[in-house]
Amino acid sequence: MNIKYLYQLSLLLFLTLTFIDPAMAGDPTNRIKQTTDKIIAILNDPALKVPDKAAERRKMIRKEVDELFDWEEFSQRALARHWRKTTDKEKKEFIPLFGKLVERTYMDKVENYSGERVLYTDEKIEGNYGVVNVKVMTDKNEEINVDYRLKKRGGEWIVYDVSIAGVSLVNNYRVQFNDILIRSSFKELMKRLQEKVEKD
Amino acid sequence: MRYIYITLIFTMLWFIQSPVLVFGQSSKASPSVETMTPKSYKMSIAHLKSASDIAVKHDGFGGYLYYYRDSWGNKHITNNIDHIAQNLQKADATESVMHAKGPDQDAAEKKQPDSSRSEEAEDSSEEFMNADKPEEIISDPLEPMNRAFFHFNDKLYFWFLKPVASGYKVVVPQPVRVSVRNFFYNAAFPVRFVNCLFQAKIEDAGVELSRFLVNTFVGVAGFFDMATKKFNIKRQEEDLGQTLGTYGMGPGIYINWPILGPSSLRDTVGLVGDAFLDPLNYIVPRTKYRMSVNTYEGINKTSLTIGDYEDLKRAALDPYVATRDAYFQYRQSRIKE
Repeated sequence: MNIKYLYQLSLLLFLTLTFIDPAMAGDPTNRIKQTTDKIIAILNDPALKVPDKAAERRKMIRKEVDELFDWEEFSQRALARHWRKTTDKEKKEFIPLFGKLVERTYMDKVENYSGERVLYTDEKIEGNYGVVNVKVMTDKNEEINVDYRLKKRGGEWIVYDVSIAGVSLVNNYRVQFNDILIRSSFKELMKRLQEKVEKD
Repeated sequence: MRYIYITLIFTMLWFIQSPVLVFGQSSKASPSVETMTPKSYKMSIAHLKSASDIAVKHDGFGGYLYYYRDSWGNKHITNNIDHIAQNLQKADATESVMHAKGPDQDAAEKKQPDSSRSEEAEDSSEEFMNADKPEEIISDPLEPMNRAFFHFNDKLYFWFLKPVASGYKVVVPQPVRVSVRNFFYNAAFPVRFVNCLFQAKIEDAGVELSRFLVNTFVGVAGFFDMATKKFNIKRQEEDLGQTLGTYGMGPGIYINWPILGPSSLRDTVGLVGDAFLDPLNYIVPRTKYRMSVNTYEGINKTSLTIGDYEDLKRAALDPYVATRDAYFQYRQSRIKE
């Protein structure tokens, strides 16, 4: 299995033509569908398809993503045992930066979306935690499993982790961050993060 | 005579439904906590075959925190013994999700202002939540060498593979390239089939067999994946590395081979073993030609996945670590299935 292939799957968060199994759809699934549908609507809007509206379109998509993904939860899990060693100020800087990095990864792909099918196949809920399984069919006739992990916070479901073909985004970044943090400092991590995001 | 042996082996495999029962727990090491497991409790839940790796730690209030995994490998933590039995039974029926913190844990943390105690409690929850426990990451003692090979592969991709594959992509239309990939994939059938058998996944072996037959005969020597398109028969991707993992062999160390890419000690052994099952090795015996065939297969595959590696580099702060961890997680998830 080609490892590089897995990273193509970063686009698969925001896709259309969802098959809805009424028996399955629960709150977490609906929440994800909600955002997905909104984003599709933005992508399909003819008024926004003009190139000079690209920035505005991105902003709108970003807004939708920010509502569904809880970047603080992502950050906390990605920093893991380093989280409590960071000050509040550092946290305030880190969270949006990390969010930007993750978002950016998907943003390009979202705009290149070309009709992949998405099936919401499964949903499990236990207390305040839920998992939504999604299968994506690519145009090359492959099937990829994407898992969204959600948490209920104040009545709202938010996503705190995404696993593509079994590879959890949070875990992946956690290993990277840990590697950097034990060899250098949080400042260094922030610097690298900053450079990365700005290199757009 | 040999048919009797074959029948005997198949019958044996049929009855050994799960290798786990025979060989014990698969690659899930116990949490790195003090294990002062109450014997009586272990005995009482021994009948629940999904119970595994229950470890106990003091929660700082004279009680215990129980760490355990359900049959899906999801971790749980609770103050309440009864929750374990309930949860494990539930896990048998439905999959459960990972709890970052149980409700008991939250209460425990809030109640205790004493720093040393809360350190321990916080340690437990964070440790539980996200710690780099040994079994969560793959060990990488050969990191300098691996990084060098990673760098080499990076250059190989940008200086050779990508230009050639891009040119190839322009000349050859996508359906043809997909068909070629299907051909090579189909030809590797013995690897998947035999490894399904080794893992006692008899049904899956049968599925692979039917896929092979359909694709070879209806799908013209495997060029057309009729099994998926018309009959919706799913691929059963198994290899020797996964088989070894199912039988409890840990990944060992991370090895990043030049050209071949990320692998582990176990998976490298798997690749070597699988090479004996790859029919192409027998059909094209002369090494010179075999290299060409492999190279062509590689270029064809690359032409279909140009952009993935670039995306990885764009998304990762440290692409080497990102690849290593993604590979590790991916293999773990494949073994679990």
